[in-house]
Amino acid sequence: MTRRGHLPYQLLTFVIFAVSWEVYARVRGGLLIPTFTETVGASVKLLGSAELWQALYASNQALVLGFALAVGVGVPLGIVLGRFRTLERFADVYLNILLVTPMAAIIPLLGMSVGYGLAARVILVAIFAIVMVVVNSRAGVRQVDPSLIEMARSFGANERRIWTRVLLPGALPAIMTGIRLGIGRAVTGMVLVELLMVSTALGGLMLEYRGLLKAPQLYATIVIILAEALLLISVARWGERKLTGRSVR
Amino acid sequence: MIEIRGLSKSFVGQDGGRVQALSDVDLDVAENEFLTVLGPSGCGKTTLLKAVAGLVPVDSGEIVVDGTKVRGPGPDRAMVFQNFALLPWATVLDNVAFGLELRGVGRAERQERARALIAMVGLAGFETKRPAELSGGMQQRVGIARALAVQPRVLLMDEPFGAVDEQTRRLLQEELLSIWEESRLTVVFITHSMEEAVLLGDRVVLMSARPGQIAEIVPVPLERPRARSLERSGKYAEITAYLWDRLRDMHEEHRAAR
Ligand SMILES: Nc1ncnc2c1ncn2[C@@H]1O[C@H](COP(=O)(O)OP(=O)(O)O)[C@@H](O)[C@H]1O
Ligand SMILES: [Mg+2]
Repeated sequence: MTRRGHLPYQLLTFVIFAVSWEVYARVRGGLLIPTFTETVGASVKLLGSAELWQALYASNQALVLGFALAVGVGVPLGIVLGRFRTLERFADVYLNILLVTPMAAIIPLLGMSVGYGLAARVILVAIFAIVMVVVNSRAGVRQVDPSLIEMARSFGANERRIWTRVLLPGALPAIMTGIRLGIGRAVTGMVLVELLMVSTALGGLMLEYRGLLKAPQLYATIVIILAEALLLISVARWGERKLTGRSVR
Repeated sequence: MIEIRGLSKSFVGQDGGRVQALSDVDLDVAENEFLTVLGPSGCGKTTLLKAVAGLVPVDSGEIVVDGTKVRGPGPDRAMVFQNFALLPWATVLDNVAFGLELRGVGRAERQERARALIAMVGLAGFETKRPAELSGGMQQRVGIARALAVQPRVLLMDEPFGAVDEQTRRLLQEELLSIWEESRLTVVFITHSMEEAVLLGDRVVLMSARPGQIAEIVPVPLERPRARSLERSGKYAEITAYLWDRLRDMHEEHRAAR
């Protein structure tokens, strides 16, 4: 109900944004800043071209694989770190490094070690996304009330039941939040690696349009990437609501 | 029913030193007895109860419940928690059935038993609500129903009414008394209220702090079934006054010792 209530405001801000863009581009003009309408036109055209869909397919390959890797490794890792504090002492340093390292700095290392193929793109996407997933899963497990664990034990729960009936349900909302935030980071990683490392797929397309000074197409590509990211995040948010039965903002 | 012999337990304190939570505690609880435990905070009441529940390992001594040495939690004992300890994502029905679920009772049977207990604690109609939708008193009713659902022989209650308002607390005390009159469970009930200890208990165990020990066991020779009107009797006033004197002495001894 709140989401529906937001819609008019979101539309309004979007209209203001679009009009400002249009006005600015027309007044300042120039080859490098397309107008809003030009961008929309180019987006529609691009969506009808095979070139874009091929690029989307190639990019998403890395996105899906890398993100799956991040979730598959990150969720269990975060949960284990949240439950066993001693492990945390070993892992904390690395997590902090992952959090603060400018990810672009990893790219040359990655290229040198696994080459410039799909593997490198997948790994970079995973590295980008995994921090959010680990940190949120860990926080989720940690904020489960310890007295619930004690209660379960008092009724005879073994470690497995404590996990399945107390820790995981308690951590689920935070895990889902981590997954949702991880999607945003994964998309960032996907584009970055294609721009800075292996000029291919969507990133390659953007570099090509830039080289040819095709500003509307360049902007349109960015718009399409943004649209995809927003779509994925909405899907994640919907799944989050379905799974946890709580409203998510 | 419960025999505690030479029970000691210490923890590692915040400063790295040892905190003696329980020191050489001996205590017997008779079958069907309602025992209340009273003492200043930090004197080891919770530790004692958790030791009986099998939740904390002890350093030395032993606890025997119904002839069997306690080595961990068991189906003969069920606990009611001060902060209710309800699963926030589960409904009232699932919370009450939780203990049964952990003990492997099938879905249909545990739901049937849970429903009966929900009705018994006066929560019929609230089966599908979640804990956050209930008042504190109602949440503790769920906690009590969950413990009773597993049909324990011993009910272990750690300041169960400490977090509810005064009126609700009085209602819950009366309801607990009538449940106990019918079921005749053995109850160990921790409280920090002298009035509550006397109203409910057959005996009041007075504990003293540092190290946690039993200072005295005060019998409560008031007739059963007990009613609220007891509070106006001379005997009741006498026992509560006595308990208060003892607690105040302990407090002053403790202050002098520092
Ligand atoms: N898990 C624990 N770790 C360290 N110290 C503890 C722990 N549990 C209890 N204690 C200490 O043991 C003493 C008795 O605690 P507790 O049994 O909770 O007392 P009470 O329930 O009477 O207030 C206190 O000094 C408390 O700080
Ligand atoms: Mg306590």
